[in-house]
Amino acid sequence: MTQPSDKPFLGFGLGLRAEHYQDILERRPKNIDWLEVLSENYMIDGGKPLYFLDAIRQDYPMVMHGVSMSLGTTDEIDFEYLKQLKALIERIEPRWFSDHLCWTGVDHKNMHDLLPLPYTEEAINHVAERISRVQDFLGQQMLIENLSSYITYCEDAMPEWEFLAAIADKADCYLLLDVNNIYVSSYNHHYDPVEYLAGVPVDRVWQHHLAGHTNDGNLIIDTHDHDIIDPVWALYEETAKRFGPVSTMIERDGNIPELDQVLAELDQARRIAEPYYQV
Amino acid sequence: MSHLRDLQLRFQDYLIDGSEDIEQDIISTENAIAEHRLGTYYNAFRIRLIDCLAVDYSALEKYLGREAFENMALDYLKHFPSCHPSVRWFGENLPTYLRDIYSGKEAGFLEELARYEWAQTTVFDAADSAQLLQLEDMAAVPADAWPGLTLKFKPALLWLDLFWNVPLIEDALNSGTELPQKQREDFPRRWMLWRHELKIKWRSLEVHEAWAIEQAASGANFAAICEGLLEWIDEQQVAMVAAGFLKQWVGDQLVLNLDND
Repeated sequence: MTQPSDKPFLGFGLGLRAEHYQDILERRPKNIDWLEVLSENYMIDGGKPLYFLDAIRQDYPMVMHGVSMSLGTTDEIDFEYLKQLKALIERIEPRWFSDHLCWTGVDHKNMHDLLPLPYTEEAINHVAERISRVQDFLGQQMLIENLSSYITYCEDAMPEWEFLAAIADKADCYLLLDVNNIYVSSYNHHYDPVEYLAGVPVDRVWQHHLAGHTNDGNLIIDTHDHDIIDPVWALYEETAKRFGPVSTMIERDGNIPELDQVLAELDQARRIAEPYYQV
Repeated sequence: MSHLRDLQLRFQDYLIDGSEDIEQDIISTENAIAEHRLGTYYNAFRIRLIDCLAVDYSALEKYLGREAFENMALDYLKHFPSCHPSVRWFGENLPTYLRDIYSGKEAGFLEELARYEWAQTTVFDAADSAQLLQLEDMAAVPADAWPGLTLKFKPALLWLDLFWNVPLIEDALNSGTELPQKQREDFPRRWMLWRHELKIKWRSLEVHEAWAIEQAASGANFAAICEGLLEWIDEQQVAMVAAGFLKQWVGDQLVLNLDND
Protein backbone atom coordinates (compact mmCIF):
# COMPACT_ATOMS: atom_id res chain seq x y z
CA MET A 1 0.00 0.00 0.00
CA THR A 2 1.10 3.51 -0.73
CA GLN A 3 2.10 5.72 2.16
CA PRO A 4 0.07 8.89 2.51
CA SER A 5 1.80 11.82 0.88
CA ASP A 6 1.24 15.51 1.47
CA LYS A 7 -1.38 15.64 -1.25
CA PRO A 8 -4.70 17.08 -0.01
CA PHE A 9 -7.42 14.53 0.62
CA LEU A 10 -10.98 15.87 0.60
CA GLY A 11 -12.73 12.53 1.03
CA PHE A 12 -15.67 11.38 -1.08
CA GLY A 13 -17.70 13.82 -3.14
CA LEU A 14 -20.20 14.33 -5.92
CA GLY A 15 -20.49 16.34 -9.08
CA LEU A 16 -23.00 19.08 -8.28
CA ARG A 17 -25.93 18.92 -10.70
CA ALA A 18 -28.95 21.24 -10.98
CA GLU A 19 -31.30 18.30 -10.36
CA HIS A 20 -29.88 18.00 -6.82
CA TYR A 21 -29.56 21.69 -5.88
CA GLN A 22 -32.69 21.84 -3.76
CA ASP A 23 -32.13 18.48 -2.11
CA ILE A 24 -28.55 19.27 -1.12
CA LEU A 25 -29.49 22.69 0.16
CA GLU A 26 -32.37 21.39 2.27
CA ARG A 27 -30.76 18.22 3.59
CA ARG A 28 -27.08 19.15 3.61
CA PRO A 29 -26.10 15.46 3.52
CA LYS A 30 -23.21 14.73 5.84
CA ASN A 31 -21.91 11.88 3.69
CA ILE A 32 -20.95 14.26 0.90
CA ASP A 33 -17.49 15.51 1.89
CA TRP A 34 -17.05 17.88 -1.03
CA LEU A 35 -18.51 18.87 -4.40
CA GLU A 36 -17.10 19.29 -7.88
CA VAL A 37 -18.75 21.99 -9.98
CA LEU A 38 -18.63 22.32 -13.77
CA SER A 39 -16.91 25.65 -14.28
CA GLU A 40 -18.67 26.66 -17.50
CA ASN A 41 -22.12 26.31 -15.89
CA TYR A 42 -21.26 29.18 -13.58
CA MET A 43 -19.30 31.47 -15.91
CA ILE A 44 -22.40 33.62 -16.25
CA ASP A 45 -23.54 36.94 -14.83
CA GLY A 46 -26.21 35.86 -12.33
CA GLY A 47 -29.46 34.01 -11.76
CA LYS A 48 -30.37 30.59 -10.47
CA PRO A 49 -27.11 28.64 -11.04
CA LEU A 50 -24.98 31.18 -9.18
CA TYR A 51 -27.59 31.54 -6.44
CA PHE A 52 -27.43 27.82 -5.67
CA LEU A 53 -23.67 27.68 -6.11
CA ASP A 54 -23.12 30.40 -3.52
CA ALA A 55 -25.65 28.92 -1.12
CA ILE A 56 -24.26 25.37 -1.32
CA ARG A 57 -20.68 26.62 -1.15
CA GLN A 58 -21.41 27.76 2.42
CA ASP A 59 -21.60 24.11 3.47
CA TYR A 60 -19.20 22.19 1.26
CA PRO A 61 -15.60 22.45 0.03
CA MET A 62 -15.57 22.64 -3.76
CA VAL A 63 -13.28 21.98 -6.67
CA MET A 64 -13.84 23.29 -10.19
CA HIS A 65 -13.83 21.12 -13.28
CA GLY A 66 -13.86 22.58 -16.79
CA VAL A 67 -14.59 21.22 -20.25
CA SER A 68 -13.57 24.13 -22.48
CA MET A 69 -9.94 25.03 -21.80
CA SER A 70 -8.95 23.03 -24.88
CA LEU A 71 -5.40 22.54 -23.67
CA GLY A 72 -4.47 20.61 -26.80
CA THR A 73 -5.81 22.89 -29.49
CA THR A 74 -3.37 24.51 -31.88
CA ASP A 75 -5.32 27.78 -31.68
CA GLU A 76 -3.89 30.44 -29.41
CA ILE A 77 -4.78 30.31 -25.69
CA ASP A 78 -8.16 31.91 -25.01
CA PHE A 79 -7.28 34.41 -22.31
CA GLU A 80 -10.81 35.80 -22.25
CA TYR A 81 -11.97 32.36 -21.12
CA LEU A 82 -9.18 32.23 -18.56
CA LYS A 83 -10.18 35.64 -17.18
CA GLN A 84 -13.72 34.40 -16.62
CA LEU A 85 -12.36 31.23 -15.03
CA LYS A 86 -10.18 33.31 -12.76
CA ALA A 87 -13.18 35.38 -11.66
CA LEU A 88 -15.05 32.19 -10.77
CA ILE A 89 -12.02 30.86 -8.88
CA GLU A 90 -11.96 34.08 -6.87
CA ARG A 91 -15.69 33.81 -6.21
CA ILE A 92 -15.84 30.26 -4.87
CA GLU A 93 -12.24 29.64 -3.81
CA PRO A 94 -12.06 26.01 -4.91
CA ARG A 95 -9.41 23.70 -3.49
CA TRP A 96 -8.22 23.24 -7.08
CA PHE A 97 -9.41 23.36 -10.68
CA SER A 98 -9.08 20.84 -13.47
CA ASP A 99 -9.71 20.33 -17.16
CA HIS A 100 -9.12 17.59 -19.71
CA LEU A 101 -6.12 16.42 -21.66
CA CYS A 102 -7.79 17.05 -24.98
CA TRP A 103 -8.69 19.62 -27.59
CA THR A 104 -12.25 20.80 -28.21
CA GLY A 105 -11.94 22.61 -31.53
CA VAL A 106 -9.60 24.51 -33.81
CA ASP A 107 -9.78 27.51 -36.09
CA HIS A 108 -11.90 29.30 -33.46
CA LYS A 109 -14.67 26.71 -33.57
CA ASN A 110 -15.82 24.60 -30.65
CA MET A 111 -17.05 21.03 -31.07
CA HIS A 112 -18.01 20.84 -27.37
CA ASP A 113 -16.44 17.40 -27.21
CA LEU A 114 -13.30 16.11 -25.54
CA LEU A 115 -11.22 15.12 -28.55
CA PRO A 116 -8.10 12.98 -28.11
CA LEU A 117 -4.57 14.04 -28.96
CA PRO A 118 -1.99 11.86 -30.70
CA TYR A 119 0.50 10.46 -28.21
CA THR A 120 3.58 12.10 -29.69
CA GLU A 121 6.50 14.21 -28.50
CA GLU A 122 5.09 17.12 -30.49
CA ALA A 123 1.82 16.93 -28.55
CA ILE A 124 3.61 16.55 -25.20
CA ASN A 125 5.65 19.69 -25.80
CA HIS A 126 2.68 21.61 -27.14
CA VAL A 127 0.29 20.77 -24.29
CA ALA A 128 2.85 21.03 -21.48
CA GLU A 129 3.82 24.50 -22.63
CA ARG A 130 0.18 25.59 -22.68
CA ILE A 131 -0.52 24.14 -19.24
CA SER A 132 2.47 26.05 -17.89
CA ARG A 133 1.11 29.28 -19.35
CA VAL A 134 -2.35 28.62 -17.90
CA GLN A 135 -0.86 27.90 -14.49
CA ASP A 136 1.22 31.07 -14.68
CA PHE A 137 -1.84 33.13 -15.60
CA LEU A 138 -4.03 31.66 -12.87
CA GLY A 139 -1.26 31.56 -10.29
CA GLN A 140 -1.72 27.95 -9.27
CA GLN A 141 -1.17 24.41 -10.43
CA MET A 142 -4.01 22.60 -12.12
CA LEU A 143 -5.15 19.01 -12.56
CA ILE A 144 -5.55 17.42 -15.98
CA GLU A 145 -7.86 14.49 -16.61
CA ASN A 146 -7.41 11.44 -18.81
CA LEU A 147 -10.12 10.90 -21.43
CA SER A 148 -12.30 8.09 -22.59
CA SER A 149 -11.35 7.60 -26.21
CA TYR A 150 -12.66 5.67 -29.19
CA ILE A 151 -9.82 6.09 -31.67
CA THR A 152 -6.12 5.38 -31.89
CA TYR A 153 -4.04 7.59 -34.16
CA CYS A 154 -1.64 5.82 -36.50
CA GLU A 155 1.14 8.11 -35.34
CA ASP A 156 0.83 7.31 -31.62
CA ALA A 157 4.35 6.73 -30.33
CA MET A 158 3.63 5.61 -26.77
CA PRO A 159 0.79 4.33 -24.59
CA GLU A 160 -1.63 6.83 -23.10
CA TRP A 161 -0.24 6.55 -19.56
CA GLU A 162 3.25 7.50 -20.71
CA PHE A 163 1.80 10.48 -22.53
CA LEU A 164 -0.15 11.57 -19.44
CA ALA A 165 2.80 11.12 -17.10
CA ALA A 166 5.19 12.95 -19.43
CA ILE A 167 2.90 15.98 -19.65
CA ALA A 168 2.32 16.08 -15.88
CA ASP A 169 6.07 15.98 -15.34
CA LYS A 170 6.94 18.55 -17.98
CA ALA A 171 4.17 21.00 -17.01
CA ASP A 172 4.48 20.27 -13.29
CA CYS A 173 0.75 19.83 -12.93
CA TYR A 174 -1.35 17.24 -11.10
CA LEU A 175 -3.64 14.52 -12.40
CA LEU A 176 -7.31 13.83 -12.15
CA LEU A 177 -7.36 10.12 -12.85
CA ASP A 178 -10.76 9.05 -14.12
CA VAL A 179 -11.10 5.36 -13.30
CA ASN A 180 -14.08 4.83 -15.58
CA ASN A 181 -12.23 6.49 -18.45
CA ILE A 182 -9.29 4.11 -17.98
CA TYR A 183 -11.70 1.18 -18.05
CA VAL A 184 -13.52 2.50 -21.14
CA SER A 185 -10.34 3.21 -23.08
CA SER A 186 -8.74 -0.10 -22.07
CA TYR A 187 -11.80 -1.92 -23.40
CA ASN A 188 -11.88 0.13 -26.60
CA HIS A 189 -8.14 -0.19 -27.26
CA HIS A 190 -7.47 -3.62 -25.80
CA TYR A 191 -4.95 -3.00 -23.06
CA ASP A 192 -4.69 -3.95 -19.40
CA PRO A 193 -6.08 -1.12 -17.24
CA VAL A 194 -3.90 -2.19 -14.31
CA GLU A 195 -0.84 -1.64 -16.50
CA TYR A 196 -2.18 1.89 -17.06
CA LEU A 197 -2.33 2.47 -13.29
CA ALA A 198 1.21 1.20 -12.87
CA GLY A 199 2.44 3.77 -15.38
CA VAL A 200 0.99 6.78 -13.57
CA PRO A 201 3.15 8.56 -10.97
CA VAL A 202 1.53 8.23 -7.54
CA ASP A 203 2.30 11.68 -6.20
CA ARG A 204 0.79 13.47 -9.19
CA VAL A 205 -2.70 12.01 -8.67
CA TRP A 206 -4.91 14.31 -6.60
CA GLN A 207 -8.40 13.30 -7.68
CA HIS A 208 -10.41 10.40 -9.08
CA HIS A 209 -13.62 10.36 -11.08
CA LEU A 210 -16.01 7.42 -11.07
CA ALA A 211 -18.93 7.08 -13.49
CA GLY A 212 -21.13 4.76 -15.50
CA HIS A 213 -21.06 4.23 -19.24
CA THR A 214 -22.80 2.55 -22.19
CA ASN A 215 -21.55 -0.50 -24.10
CA ASP A 216 -22.67 -0.53 -27.74
CA GLY A 217 -21.29 -4.03 -28.31
CA ASN A 218 -18.08 -3.01 -30.02
CA LEU A 219 -17.11 0.10 -28.13
CA ILE A 220 -17.87 1.51 -24.70
CA ILE A 221 -19.10 5.08 -24.73
CA ASP A 222 -18.48 7.35 -21.75
CA THR A 223 -22.04 8.55 -21.21
CA HIS A 224 -22.22 9.08 -17.43
CA ASP A 225 -25.84 8.00 -17.53
CA HIS A 226 -25.74 4.62 -15.77
CA ASP A 227 -24.68 3.24 -12.42
CA ILE A 228 -21.03 2.29 -12.03
CA ILE A 229 -20.46 -1.33 -13.11
CA ASP A 230 -18.58 -4.00 -11.14
CA PRO A 231 -15.42 -4.08 -13.31
CA VAL A 232 -15.02 -0.33 -12.73
CA TRP A 233 -15.45 -0.84 -8.99
CA ALA A 234 -12.78 -3.57 -9.17
CA LEU A 235 -10.45 -1.22 -11.01
CA TYR A 236 -11.18 1.45 -8.40
CA GLU A 237 -10.01 -0.99 -5.74
CA GLU A 238 -6.76 -1.46 -7.66
CA THR A 239 -6.52 2.32 -7.87
CA ALA A 240 -6.95 2.69 -4.09
CA LYS A 241 -4.23 0.08 -3.53
CA ARG A 242 -1.75 1.94 -5.70
CA PHE A 243 -2.52 5.60 -5.04
CA GLY A 244 -3.72 5.59 -1.41
CA PRO A 245 -6.02 8.37 -0.19
CA VAL A 246 -7.14 10.35 -3.24
CA SER A 247 -10.21 12.62 -3.29
CA THR A 248 -12.84 10.65 -5.15
CA MET A 249 -16.13 11.75 -6.66
CA ILE A 250 -18.96 10.39 -8.79
CA GLU A 251 -20.05 12.03 -12.04
CA ARG A 252 -23.57 11.63 -13.31
CA ASP A 253 -24.66 13.66 -16.32
CA GLY A 254 -27.58 11.83 -17.87
CA ASN A 255 -30.55 9.85 -16.60
CA ILE A 256 -29.83 11.53 -13.27
CA PRO A 257 -31.39 9.59 -10.37
CA GLU A 258 -32.53 10.78 -6.95
CA LEU A 259 -29.74 12.05 -4.76
CA ASP A 260 -29.98 9.05 -2.41
CA GLN A 261 -29.15 6.65 -5.23
CA VAL A 262 -25.95 8.53 -6.03
CA LEU A 263 -25.13 8.74 -2.33
CA ALA A 264 -25.44 4.96 -2.11
CA GLU A 265 -22.81 4.67 -4.84
CA LEU A 266 -20.62 7.11 -2.96
CA ASP A 267 -20.86 4.93 0.15
CA GLN A 268 -19.79 1.99 -1.97
CA ALA A 269 -16.69 3.94 -3.05
CA ARG A 270 -15.91 4.56 0.62
CA ARG A 271 -16.29 0.90 1.52
CA ILE A 272 -13.95 -0.11 -1.29
CA ALA A 273 -11.22 2.48 -0.83
CA GLU A 274 -10.98 3.16 2.89
CA PRO A 275 -9.46 -0.20 3.86
CA TYR A 276 -6.45 0.79 1.74
CA TYR A 277 -6.04 4.22 3.29
CA GLN A 278 -3.71 4.86 6.19
CA VAL A 279 -5.33 8.07 7.39
CA MET B 1 1.13 24.72 -40.44
CA SER B 2 2.18 22.25 -37.74
CA HIS B 3 1.53 18.57 -38.13
CA LEU B 4 -0.76 18.61 -35.09
CA ARG B 5 -2.81 21.49 -36.44
CA ASP B 6 -3.21 19.77 -39.76
CA LEU B 7 -4.51 16.66 -37.98
CA GLN B 8 -6.93 18.70 -35.89
CA LEU B 9 -8.31 20.49 -38.93
CA ARG B 10 -8.89 17.15 -40.69
CA PHE B 11 -10.69 15.79 -37.62
CA GLN B 12 -12.82 18.89 -37.24
CA ASP B 13 -13.74 18.94 -40.94
CA TYR B 14 -14.95 15.39 -40.48
CA LEU B 15 -17.10 16.36 -37.49
CA ILE B 16 -18.64 19.35 -39.21
CA ASP B 17 -19.25 18.07 -42.73
CA GLY B 18 -18.20 14.42 -42.80
CA SER B 19 -14.99 14.97 -44.79
CA GLU B 20 -13.29 11.54 -44.75
CA ASP B 21 -9.62 12.55 -44.96
CA ILE B 22 -9.16 11.86 -41.24
CA GLU B 23 -9.81 8.13 -41.71
CA GLN B 24 -6.22 7.69 -42.96
CA ASP B 25 -5.00 8.78 -39.52
CA ILE B 26 -7.02 6.26 -37.50
CA ILE B 27 -6.26 2.61 -36.79
CA SER B 28 -8.97 0.03 -37.47
CA THR B 29 -9.27 -3.02 -35.25
CA GLU B 30 -11.21 -6.25 -35.52
CA ASN B 31 -14.03 -5.09 -33.29
CA ALA B 32 -14.29 -1.59 -34.72
CA ILE B 33 -13.03 -0.16 -37.98
CA ALA B 34 -11.86 3.45 -38.17
CA GLU B 35 -15.14 4.60 -39.70
CA HIS B 36 -17.14 3.18 -36.79
CA ARG B 37 -14.74 4.60 -34.22
CA LEU B 38 -14.86 8.06 -35.77
CA GLY B 39 -18.62 7.76 -36.10
CA THR B 40 -18.87 7.74 -32.32
CA TYR B 41 -17.55 11.30 -32.29
CA TYR B 42 -19.58 12.34 -35.34
CA ASN B 43 -22.83 11.19 -33.79
CA ALA B 44 -22.08 12.43 -30.28
CA PHE B 45 -21.25 15.87 -31.65
CA ARG B 46 -24.65 16.14 -33.30
CA ILE B 47 -26.67 14.62 -30.48
CA ARG B 48 -25.01 16.87 -27.90
CA LEU B 49 -25.68 20.07 -29.81
CA ILE B 50 -29.22 19.11 -30.82
CA ASP B 51 -29.97 18.33 -27.16
CA CYS B 52 -28.49 21.66 -26.16
CA LEU B 53 -30.76 23.48 -28.61
CA ALA B 54 -33.73 21.46 -27.38
CA VAL B 55 -33.12 22.73 -23.84
CA ASP B 56 -32.89 26.36 -24.90
CA TYR B 57 -35.74 26.05 -27.40
CA SER B 58 -38.03 23.57 -25.70
CA ALA B 59 -41.25 25.14 -27.00
CA LEU B 60 -39.90 25.26 -30.54
CA GLU B 61 -39.02 21.58 -30.30
CA LYS B 62 -42.51 20.72 -29.06
CA TYR B 63 -44.10 22.84 -31.76
CA LEU B 64 -42.10 21.33 -34.62
CA GLY B 65 -41.89 17.77 -33.26
CA ARG B 66 -38.58 16.03 -32.58
CA GLU B 67 -37.80 14.90 -36.12
CA ALA B 68 -38.40 18.26 -37.77
CA PHE B 69 -36.54 19.97 -34.92
CA GLU B 70 -33.53 17.70 -35.41
CA ASN B 71 -33.43 18.38 -39.14
CA MET B 72 -33.64 22.09 -38.50
CA ALA B 73 -30.93 21.87 -35.83
CA LEU B 74 -28.57 19.94 -38.11
CA ASP B 75 -28.92 22.58 -40.80
CA TYR B 76 -28.39 25.31 -38.20
CA LEU B 77 -25.22 23.56 -37.07
CA LYS B 78 -23.84 23.72 -40.60
CA HIS B 79 -24.48 27.43 -40.89
CA PHE B 80 -23.61 28.46 -37.33
CA PRO B 81 -20.96 26.16 -35.83
CA SER B 82 -20.26 26.99 -32.20
CA CYS B 83 -17.46 29.48 -31.69
CA HIS B 84 -17.86 30.06 -27.96
CA PRO B 85 -16.15 28.08 -25.18
CA SER B 86 -19.47 27.55 -23.42
CA VAL B 87 -22.21 25.55 -25.11
CA ARG B 88 -24.64 27.95 -23.40
CA TRP B 89 -24.15 30.30 -26.38
CA PHE B 90 -24.50 27.73 -29.16
CA GLY B 91 -28.15 28.59 -29.80
CA GLU B 92 -27.66 32.34 -29.90
CA ASN B 93 -28.02 32.59 -33.68
CA LEU B 94 -31.04 30.34 -34.10
CA PRO B 95 -33.52 33.25 -34.51
CA THR B 96 -31.23 34.72 -37.20
CA TYR B 97 -31.01 31.34 -38.91
CA LEU B 98 -34.80 30.97 -38.89
CA ARG B 99 -35.25 34.47 -40.27
CA ASP B 100 -32.59 34.36 -43.00
CA ILE B 101 -31.89 30.76 -43.96
CA TYR B 102 -34.57 28.31 -42.83
CA SER B 103 -36.59 27.11 -45.80
CA GLY B 104 -39.42 25.38 -43.95
CA LYS B 105 -42.94 26.64 -43.39
CA GLU B 106 -43.90 29.32 -40.87
CA ALA B 107 -40.39 30.78 -40.69
CA GLY B 108 -41.68 34.15 -39.46
CA PHE B 109 -43.62 32.61 -36.60
CA LEU B 110 -40.78 30.23 -35.69
CA GLU B 111 -38.28 33.09 -35.67
CA GLU B 112 -40.42 35.00 -33.18
CA LEU B 113 -40.90 31.92 -31.00
CA ALA B 114 -37.14 31.32 -31.01
CA ARG B 115 -36.40 34.97 -30.30
CA TYR B 116 -38.75 34.87 -27.33
CA GLU B 117 -37.20 31.67 -25.96
CA TRP B 118 -33.70 33.07 -26.33
CA ALA B 119 -34.82 36.19 -24.46
CA GLN B 120 -35.85 33.92 -21.59
CA THR B 121 -32.39 32.35 -21.60
CA THR B 122 -30.84 35.82 -21.53
CA VAL B 123 -32.96 36.95 -18.59
CA PHE B 124 -32.42 33.63 -16.77
CA ASP B 125 -28.73 34.23 -16.13
CA ALA B 126 -28.46 38.01 -16.45
CA ALA B 127 -26.62 39.81 -13.65
CA ASP B 128 -28.27 39.94 -10.22
CA SER B 129 -29.28 43.20 -8.62
CA ALA B 130 -28.62 43.36 -4.91
CA GLN B 131 -30.56 46.57 -4.23
CA LEU B 132 -33.78 47.49 -5.99
CA LEU B 133 -35.87 50.63 -5.62
CA GLN B 134 -38.92 50.20 -3.39
CA LEU B 135 -42.25 52.03 -3.46
CA GLU B 136 -41.44 53.79 -0.19
CA ASP B 137 -38.28 55.22 -1.81
CA MET B 138 -40.52 56.87 -4.39
CA ALA B 139 -42.65 58.44 -1.70
CA ALA B 140 -39.58 60.21 -0.37
CA VAL B 141 -38.95 62.08 -3.66
CA PRO B 142 -39.82 65.79 -3.22
CA ALA B 143 -42.45 67.13 -5.65
CA ASP B 144 -40.07 69.60 -7.30
CA ALA B 145 -37.59 66.79 -8.11
CA TRP B 146 -40.04 64.77 -10.21
CA PRO B 147 -39.59 66.53 -13.60
CA GLY B 148 -35.87 65.74 -13.63
CA LEU B 149 -36.15 62.13 -12.45
CA THR B 150 -34.38 59.46 -14.47
CA LEU B 151 -34.45 55.70 -13.91
CA LYS B 152 -31.90 52.94 -14.06
CA PHE B 153 -33.35 49.50 -14.79
CA LYS B 154 -31.90 46.19 -13.64
CA PRO B 155 -29.97 43.98 -16.11
CA ALA B 156 -32.43 41.07 -15.90
CA LEU B 157 -35.03 42.93 -17.95
CA LEU B 158 -35.63 43.11 -21.67
CA TRP B 159 -38.41 43.54 -24.14
CA LEU B 160 -39.07 42.45 -27.67
CA ASP B 161 -41.62 43.34 -30.33
CA LEU B 162 -43.62 40.44 -31.74
CA PHE B 163 -46.34 40.19 -34.39
CA TRP B 164 -47.39 36.74 -33.21
CA ASN B 165 -48.79 35.80 -29.81
CA VAL B 166 -45.77 33.58 -29.17
CA PRO B 167 -45.52 34.19 -25.38
CA LEU B 168 -48.96 32.62 -24.94
CA ILE B 169 -48.05 29.74 -27.23
CA GLU B 170 -44.68 29.16 -25.55
CA ASP B 171 -46.35 29.13 -22.17
CA ALA B 172 -48.95 26.59 -23.30
CA LEU B 173 -46.38 24.35 -25.01
CA ASN B 174 -44.07 24.25 -22.02
CA SER B 175 -46.78 23.91 -19.40
CA GLY B 176 -48.77 21.35 -21.36
CA THR B 177 -51.97 23.41 -21.31
CA GLU B 178 -54.33 23.91 -24.22
CA LEU B 179 -52.63 25.61 -27.13
CA PRO B 180 -54.19 29.00 -27.93
CA GLN B 181 -55.02 29.91 -31.51
CA LYS B 182 -52.00 31.28 -33.32
CA GLN B 183 -52.64 34.95 -34.03
CA ARG B 184 -50.74 37.57 -35.98
CA GLU B 185 -51.42 41.23 -35.36
CA ASP B 186 -51.02 43.98 -37.95
CA PHE B 187 -48.52 45.80 -35.76
CA PRO B 188 -45.98 44.27 -33.39
CA ARG B 189 -46.83 44.15 -29.70
CA ARG B 190 -44.11 44.76 -27.12
CA TRP B 191 -43.55 42.02 -24.55
CA MET B 192 -41.46 42.57 -21.48
CA LEU B 193 -39.54 39.80 -19.67
CA TRP B 194 -37.76 40.07 -16.39
CA ARG B 195 -36.42 37.89 -13.63
CA HIS B 196 -37.93 38.38 -10.22
CA GLU B 197 -35.71 36.58 -7.72
CA LEU B 198 -35.24 33.26 -9.57
CA LYS B 199 -38.44 33.27 -11.64
CA ILE B 200 -38.95 34.66 -15.12
CA LYS B 201 -42.02 36.91 -15.48
CA TRP B 202 -43.54 38.48 -18.57
CA ARG B 203 -46.40 40.66 -19.71
CA SER B 204 -47.42 42.63 -22.76
CA LEU B 205 -47.31 46.42 -22.83
CA GLU B 206 -49.76 48.88 -24.31
CA VAL B 207 -48.17 51.08 -26.93
CA HIS B 208 -47.78 54.12 -24.66
CA GLU B 209 -46.16 52.11 -21.85
CA ALA B 210 -43.91 50.44 -24.44
CA TRP B 211 -42.82 53.88 -25.64
CA ALA B 212 -42.39 55.19 -22.08
CA ILE B 213 -40.19 52.36 -20.81
CA GLU B 214 -37.96 52.56 -23.86
CA GLN B 215 -37.54 56.30 -23.30
CA ALA B 216 -36.91 55.82 -19.59
CA ALA B 217 -34.30 53.15 -20.28
CA SER B 218 -32.51 55.46 -22.70
CA GLY B 219 -32.24 58.19 -20.05
CA ALA B 220 -35.25 60.44 -20.70
CA ASN B 221 -36.42 62.24 -17.57
CA PHE B 222 -39.94 62.23 -16.16
CA ALA B 223 -40.86 65.55 -17.77
CA ALA B 224 -39.75 64.39 -21.22
CA ILE B 225 -41.70 61.16 -20.84
CA CYS B 226 -44.83 63.10 -19.86
CA GLU B 227 -44.41 65.33 -22.88
CA GLY B 228 -44.10 62.37 -25.22
CA LEU B 229 -47.09 60.63 -23.69
CA LEU B 230 -49.27 63.56 -24.75
CA GLU B 231 -49.58 61.76 -28.07
CA TRP B 232 -51.87 59.25 -26.34
CA ILE B 233 -52.96 60.88 -23.05
CA ASP B 234 -54.80 64.12 -22.14
CA GLU B 235 -52.65 66.83 -20.61
CA GLN B 236 -54.63 66.67 -17.35
CA GLN B 237 -54.00 62.95 -17.00
CA VAL B 238 -50.49 62.59 -18.33
CA ALA B 239 -48.46 63.08 -15.14
CA MET B 240 -50.67 60.63 -13.28
CA VAL B 241 -50.33 58.01 -16.04
CA ALA B 242 -46.55 58.42 -16.18
CA ALA B 243 -46.30 58.20 -12.39
CA GLY B 244 -48.49 55.10 -12.58
CA PHE B 245 -46.05 53.48 -14.98
CA LEU B 246 -43.17 54.31 -12.70
CA LYS B 247 -45.03 52.88 -9.72
CA GLN B 248 -45.79 49.73 -11.69
CA TRP B 249 -42.14 49.28 -12.74
CA VAL B 250 -40.94 49.80 -9.19
CA GLY B 251 -43.61 47.41 -7.90
CA ASP B 252 -42.47 44.82 -10.45
CA GLN B 253 -38.95 45.18 -9.00
CA LEU B 254 -37.47 46.46 -12.26
CA VAL B 255 -35.82 49.68 -11.13
CA LEU B 256 -32.38 49.86 -9.56
CA ASN B 257 -32.46 53.51 -8.62
CA LEU B 258 -33.69 57.01 -9.38
CA ASP B 259 -31.47 59.88 -10.33
CA ASN B 260 -32.00 63.53 -11.22
CA ASP B 261 -30.57 64.97 -14.41
